[in-house]
Amino acid sequence: MADSPQIRLDFRKSLGSFILDIHCTLETKVSAFLGVSGSGKSTLLNCVSGILTPDEGEITFGEEVLYASASKINLPPEKRRFGYVFQTGYLFPHLTVAQNIRYGQPKPRKPSAAIDVLELGEFLQRYPRELSGGQRQRVAIARALAMEPRMLLMDEPLASLDTALKERIIPYLHHVKDAFDIPILYITHAFSEAMALADEAFLIANGEIIASGEPHGLLTAPSAMPIAQLTGVENILFLPVTLSDKTKGVTSLEIGDQSLVIPYTEAEVGETVPVAIRAEDIIISLEPNLSISARNTLRGTIQYLDVKSEATWISILVEWHHLAVKITHQAREQLQLKEGLEVYCVIKANAINRLWE
Amino acid sequence: MRITPAEVAALVLSIKVALLSLVFTFPIGLFVGWLLAKRTFLGKSFLNTLVMCPLVLPPIVSGYLLLILLGRNGLIGGFIYQVFGIEIVFSELAVVIAVSIISFPLLVRGIVTGMESVPLELENAARTLGASPIKVFWTITFPMAYRGVIGGTILGFSKSLGEFGATIMVAGNIPGKTQTMALAIFSAVHLGEDVSVYRLVFISTVVAFVALWLTERFTLR
Repeated sequence: MADSPQIRLDFRKSLGSFILDIHCTLETKVSAFLGVSGSGKSTLLNCVSGILTPDEGEITFGEEVLYASASKINLPPEKRRFGYVFQTGYLFPHLTVAQNIRYGQPKPRKPSAAIDVLELGEFLQRYPRELSGGQRQRVAIARALAMEPRMLLMDEPLASLDTALKERIIPYLHHVKDAFDIPILYITHAFSEAMALADEAFLIANGEIIASGEPHGLLTAPSAMPIAQLTGVENILFLPVTLSDKTKGVTSLEIGDQSLVIPYTEAEVGETVPVAIRAEDIIISLEPNLSISARNTLRGTIQYLDVKSEATWISILVEWHHLAVKITHQAREQLQLKEGLEVYCVIKANAINRLWE
Repeated sequence: MRITPAEVAALVLSIKVALLSLVFTFPIGLFVGWLLAKRTFLGKSFLNTLVMCPLVLPPIVSGYLLLILLGRNGLIGGFIYQVFGIEIVFSELAVVIAVSIISFPLLVRGIVTGMESVPLELENAARTLGASPIKVFWTITFPMAYRGVIGGTILGFSKSLGEFGATIMVAGNIPGKTQTMALAIFSAVHLGEDVSVYRLVFISTVVAFVALWLTERFTLR
């Protein structure tokens, strides 16, 4: 998207004692804003869409000024032409799927291409209450696309869905990304979604952007550990496949000189796959050879310990990967864990999830 | 046992007045209801209190205040008399005004309840889809507030049909001119015309029942 318009967000908005202070330029096709709830992500999107008016600053889309406190410009939401997909869909309950999708369509007679992309043809005459959560969310995305927006704003479009459904919707989002040549501003608290979709990620905490960059680099860097704690997120690793055995139901990945066994996944040997491990799913052991069912024991060195009120966070260097591990204070004391100590990370194969490409 | 022309006149007047009142108050009620349910502005609680006042005031008091305002020497009545030469009080128009004022809070209450139940997020979603505030009102807020609006309308209409206190104060009880069903029943009881009372009470009940039944039929589909 070489000719895509540059979006500049440069504004402040206070809500009670909370202050959102955003300064950034979006230049890639999909920009993700990552943060925990209460970090100001939704407020940010509401300001961009025009639902909320910032206190001061400027929001521009290409050459067009959408909001500027200095020149008292504030384009109402209906003039911005930004498709907005809300966390819980907000479909109009009194309208059918077809009417919902048509609502913002410039030429309502012509069926929108979004109906095909999101495979909604068979649901058109139903009412939102007759749909499942995943179907509803697809309608919400189709409705936002049918208006032929200049940009798509997505506020945790998958958050209200369970994991299985999420994985079914993600491919649709990829279709959308490919089929519609518009920038997407994606808001989420899930690392995996940001990694799966975004070209650039912005980490947001307490109303400010604390880091930004290419998502893989940003989210797997050692500096991401505090961010991992902040977003309550899993470890993300990109590892090459060394062996894939469908009959045994396992796939082996290479992590330096060691290997990591995960449940079988469709992948070629040599292909790099992204996997996620939650920080609380990693057990720390001082011994390497335990007689246990867990399939993985990775040797590593404690880089640093971070004692928080709720738990101890440990960053362990395994080969050149950093693993964030969350344990109780009691475990830390009993094992006498300290920086520089060699430990073993025990991980069940089933605790490792392959991320969607 | 035949219904008398005076009774027919009272029945027709009651229905006519209630319908006319609805025609006048409905658009205003819709706008005021929307203001109260969806907007924040200076003087909102004052407007709310003003609208709801007739609900808590004795109708006689509302009627008396109207009489003062609309009378030939009143603030509004005086002006209209000077300019148009029309006297409002003790006319059919006075009946319409009286029942409108009394039924208005019930109508507005229903509309406000209905509109408050429409989530702001849905209206915002419609705005982001390119709908102007007016389009949002007619395509989202109004249709979704439907039940509240119908409820308020039924209550307001029923109140209009049976209004007594304010009507008698500001319009009097002139048979064939300002005598509604309620006033006719009052007169008949007063004069001891029991048979007439029974007939009127029966007719009132039937009219109220049919009105309610029809609205139910059309809203429940």
